[in-house]
Amino acid sequence: MKHILLLLPLVLSAAVPQQLRFAINGDPKMFDVLMVAESNSETIRYLTAGVLLRVNRTTDVPQPELAESFQVKEGGRAITFKLRPNLQFSDGTPLTAADVERTLRRALDPKSGSPTGDTLRAGDTAPEILVANPREITLRYKAPKPGIDRLFDSVGIAPPVQTKLPPSSGAFFVAEYQPGTFVLLRRNSHYFKRDAKGVQLPYLDSIRLDIQANADIALTRYQRGEFHLINKLDADSFDRLQKTQNNSVRSLGPSLDPEFIWFNQAPAKTLPEWKRAWFTSAAFRHAVSSAIRREDMARIVFKGHAHPAVGPISTANRFWVNAALKPPVLDTKGGLAQLAKEGFTLRGNVLRDKGNHAVEFSLITQAGKRPRERMASLVADDLKALGIKVNVVTLDFGSLLDRISKSLDYEAALLGFENVDADPSEEMNVWLSSGAQHAWWPAQKTPATAWEARIDKLELAQAAEGVRANRKNLVDEFQKIVREEEPIIYLLNPDYLVAVSPSLKGVQPVVVPPQILWNAEWLRFE
Amino acid sequence: MTPVGRESTFASRLAPGRLALGFLTFIATILIGGFAAAALVRYSPGFDVDEDVLNPHLSPATIAARHAQREVENGLPRFYLRYLARAAHGDFGKSEAFNLPVSELLRHRASISAGLLVRGTLGGLALGSLLAWLSVWPRRLTLELSAVATSGLLLAIPPAVLALFFFFREWPLWLAVALALLPRVFGTARSILEDFYSSPALLAARARGLGSARLAITYVLGPAAPQLAALAGVAVVLAFGSLIPIEGLCDVPGIGQLALKGALARDLPLLSALGLIITSLVAGVQWMGDLTR
Amino acid sequence: MTRPATILLALVVVLGLAAPWLAPNPYDHQFRDMASASPQPGFPMGTDDLGRDRLSRLLYATRVSVLLAPSAATISVLLALLFSALAALPSRLVAWTLSLANGIFLSLPWIFLFIILRSKLSLNTDPLVSVTLTFALMGVAGWAIPGRAFTASIVEMKDAGWLLQARAAGLRPWRIATAHAWPHLWSLALVQFRILIPAYVLSEASLGLLGLGVADPMPSWGNLLRDLQHPDVVQANPWTLAPLALLVLVMICLESLTPSRKAAL
Repeated sequence: MKHILLLLPLVLSAAVPQQLRFAINGDPKMFDVLMVAESNSETIRYLTAGVLLRVNRTTDVPQPELAESFQVKEGGRAITFKLRPNLQFSDGTPLTAADVERTLRRALDPKSGSPTGDTLRAGDTAPEILVANPREITLRYKAPKPGIDRLFDSVGIAPPVQTKLPPSSGAFFVAEYQPGTFVLLRRNSHYFKRDAKGVQLPYLDSIRLDIQANADIALTRYQRGEFHLINKLDADSFDRLQKTQNNSVRSLGPSLDPEFIWFNQAPAKTLPEWKRAWFTSAAFRHAVSSAIRREDMARIVFKGHAHPAVGPISTANRFWVNAALKPPVLDTKGGLAQLAKEGFTLRGNVLRDKGNHAVEFSLITQAGKRPRERMASLVADDLKALGIKVNVVTLDFGSLLDRISKSLDYEAALLGFENVDADPSEEMNVWLSSGAQHAWWPAQKTPATAWEARIDKLELAQAAEGVRANRKNLVDEFQKIVREEEPIIYLLNPDYLVAVSPSLKGVQPVVVPPQILWNAEWLRFE
Repeated sequence: MTPVGRESTFASRLAPGRLALGFLTFIATILIGGFAAAALVRYSPGFDVDEDVLNPHLSPATIAARHAQREVENGLPRFYLRYLARAAHGDFGKSEAFNLPVSELLRHRASISAGLLVRGTLGGLALGSLLAWLSVWPRRLTLELSAVATSGLLLAIPPAVLALFFFFREWPLWLAVALALLPRVFGTARSILEDFYSSPALLAARARGLGSARLAITYVLGPAAPQLAALAGVAVVLAFGSLIPIEGLCDVPGIGQLALKGALARDLPLLSALGLIITSLVAGVQWMGDLTR
Repeated sequence: MTRPATILLALVVVLGLAAPWLAPNPYDHQFRDMASASPQPGFPMGTDDLGRDRLSRLLYATRVSVLLAPSAATISVLLALLFSALAALPSRLVAWTLSLANGIFLSLPWIFLFIILRSKLSLNTDPLVSVTLTFALMGVAGWAIPGRAFTASIVEMKDAGWLLQARAAGLRPWRIATAHAWPHLWSLALVQFRILIPAYVLSEASLGLLGLGVADPMPSWGNLLRDLQHPDVVQANPWTLAPLALLVLVMICLESLTPSRKAAL
């Protein structure tokens, strides 16, 4: 009898189905680990692709994965990986240094258009790849590559042949995909990792990602117990869930993702010169920034689950944020004084520039994104205090994209970024004046201003600097310039809110993607 | 309109000349309508802009390489002619938004939408006609008023909101499609029935003391059948239209949702295929309507 | 039954037109400390999530919607009547072209035309101008649905026995048109008009999502109805159903005012 009682917990735990279910908001565009560029594919890539090393999201230290060891050499110019013995893909075929080499070469081929290639290259140059034996591979750059080890966290090792549902090198593999309905991942029985007791990981048998674009439906299904987690909860849903299932929601504090406004400074045909003169004036941008009530925004739009942003790097990114910077304070009077110095005058309730033009601009944002629509409405109302008239226009994503990246027919835009990494090189293409994502004036041939030239220098220097402390100084100066010039007016960092079923164990949610799922092989139901 | 005095017969409707003209209209609608739909997509802002341009992790070279992998044909007439030629062989191209062959997407989703469409249309026709019958036949003011109120209510609620409500109550979604269709059917069915109900033939028969069931079958339902059939055809088109917001908001992976996602992504191959399907449906219903007239 | 309906409809129109005098607050004033408030003195219908007075917004929305939706419906019905009248001509080619145009108009993805319209307008276009243009385009694009009904009816009339009898009796065409055909078409037009109004109010709501409808902060029934997409909001604040209730009331009044005659879809 005693024995039977002892066995009981085992029997009970065996009875718990080990299928994790949650929602993704759209179809993954592809399963080729080297080609993914949007968040749903990236989630699946993370869960299925094996990597040589993984950055532990709680300690921020790179740890061996497919590589049993790795060594940074030659002052940060080279890195050597030693693979674990007897590695296999999920279909049982062996995984050797030749597979790693093939993966890297395909990623680095400029014609492939692989985002992984961008991660691996130093500027335009590809590293040298040397395979010493089936278990050892070295990458060598011409100059030290900062964070040379960390960048392999996102380099998934691809199988020899790309099929519709390719085999994987990670904890799970894609077993089934029904477009518009779900993606089913099953555990990879050839996965190398074991726990302290020698039990093979992952604990979960399968993961079902249901494609659910409507967040209200996803929330209801979570409440019904059909989903086990919500990786990114909006503030309204968080409050609603907190009332009914308080033990399942968590706020992780400010996220890495900023919400911001910028003005079009590009010499576009559709933008009159006198308006461009306002937008290129730092005083004008400061005045606008100083009149925005960020606290109201956090309280009304995000129900208090947001914090005023200090700049491009979130306060959640403790190492890289410039600690000397504080969020802009509300100072409408100061703003008006700055405008007066630039020749603007407030007559009645209307601000006028030197040429007697009434100050009025349109602010575009994405239609259907409720928080952004509300933020834009609040900004428009706040700027009345400066005598500025703001016309909020919500556009469908295609039209918005066309205006801010192709036709440049817009005046100001309100958007946000989703940062997938805490590293400051993350937004390199935004800050380089030649970058296609240099929001306020993309793809400049030469930097338009001295401060943009300085940012270019700082960005390139930090990307080449091997010593972390030196790099931090460069990044600090960059943040200071962004604050002084405010080409992008930072508003808020919404808090990272998640919901996790209490029955799911082993959860260590973090603000860096993929948040709850970063240690998926350790998750289990009890 | 009363049916008395109609001169066209079924035989005349099927005369070869008329059939040929009908067929010509059918084909012309599909060709011109399909081309116009593709043109609207091609010339709307956001076409030919990848969302990759907003991805800060991608270098300009990578964005360019990814863009080159999209099969973008800039000359619209050429694109469309080639598209039609390939479509004739069952190849509708590759969807840019889903990165899958369009024919595969359509095959998978057609069954889901067909279920909603068939049940929704039949349900809408049945409920709408029943309500129309109740508002006309028993001649009771309360019944008529409640029928009018029900129809007015359903006319004012956005179909997608109605569907969402059903979804959260875990009620079948096809019923929402049916209810969205109901007021449209009600309006038409009511007036058709009223016409026959007040026809001199029926009044005369009633004066002869015929029972209501026989009256209804002989003088109303029988003669109204062709018009009710035409109504059924149009109802399919209307129900199809309501699938777009319903499937879009309730995350039903059907053709309607495909249309919505395709539109947001300016997915020309996918939207061209859907354009052909929708024009065929509309033109087919129109042709059928002409034949029954 | 028509009398109370007329009175109610008139009342709604008056409420809308008198919004500036009746509304307790400006429709766009953000009472930021009162966001998402329940009904209370000062805010009889509570406030929305930006702290704007719901009652004032509903009154102003009524003004926009009772003017624009029926205007667009009128455009559609008039255009449909005009085009369908061509079907009465003896030319077969005209009838064929008409039927072809009708089919094409019915099957076009109109949403893209609205997106193109928005891209051609300056972003600083006065919201009133852009919304008027949107409704006008809606009115023009929408002729096909009533057009089909009118054409069918006219074609049917051409074949009808009474028309042949009238011709045989020597009645002139214009006399036939005014005395016999027009009353029938008129009742049909009223039915179509009634069906199009809510269709346009709801279309405006979805166009609002694309920045084409009535732009924030200006309220319309359409953008107030967007709140219904979030069932939690409605459940917690049943008074957000007020715009829907008003639209339903208007629909029922219109329905009971229209003579029920054949209303081909």
